[in-house]
Amino acid sequence: MKATLEMINGMVNDGIISGYAIGGAVGATFYLEPLATADVDIFVMLSTAPESSLISLAPIYDYLRTRGCQVEGERVVVGDWPVQFLPAHSALEQEALAQAVETEVEGVRTRVLSAEHLVAIALKTGRAKDYARIVQFFDQDAVDAHKLNRILRRHELADKWEKFARKYREG
Amino acid sequence: MDKDKERRKRLASLPFSEKLKILAKLRDRDRAIAASGLRKKKVRQAVG
Repeated sequence: MKATLEMINGMVNDGIISGYAIGGAVGATFYLEPLATADVDIFVMLSTAPESSLISLAPIYDYLRTRGCQVEGERVVVGDWPVQFLPAHSALEQEALAQAVETEVEGVRTRVLSAEHLVAIALKTGRAKDYARIVQFFDQDAVDAHKLNRILRRHELADKWEKFARKYREG
Repeated sequence: MDKDKERRKRLASLPFSEKLKILAKLRDRDRAIAASGLRKKKVRQAVG
């Protein structure tokens, strides 16, 4: 993971992306026990021109390809990890990136989405594995419920949360 | 059940770098199983 993060930090330094944070199962592992996953989800803020309305991952792929990384479908193998780069499209994802937590992995600085934003994004994504992860966050008391509620209200996810809670947390 | 919760709590309290090393081992084990074809056989047996 060290080599992976060093390469991604290089993309920030070289202006390919303006910021990033780890999400998905690897991000959740920051707060929980290790959660098996085949790849790393990286939420990115792209360094596109303000007048451009098109969001493209091509600069990321080009940058990594020229540094010997293999593209495998939607993923790029960076170091020894397949990485999926996810542009922060929505207001929720942009807020999540802005409020990500600073940490270090083997001496390399990196950022991880907050537990509450990981839960909110999992709720919004809404696959079975996302819901299972939300339950894990609560089982391990890894979420600030007040902070989560504010995020859910801000991003119009309160109704979805109520449905989720009725089905998975109170049942 | 309490024992399992305790184990998960202990794993969760490990430094992030340590947890990522465990993730890499889990991933490698998964890749080895996939490469061996064991998973497909198991699914075929279950279906067939």
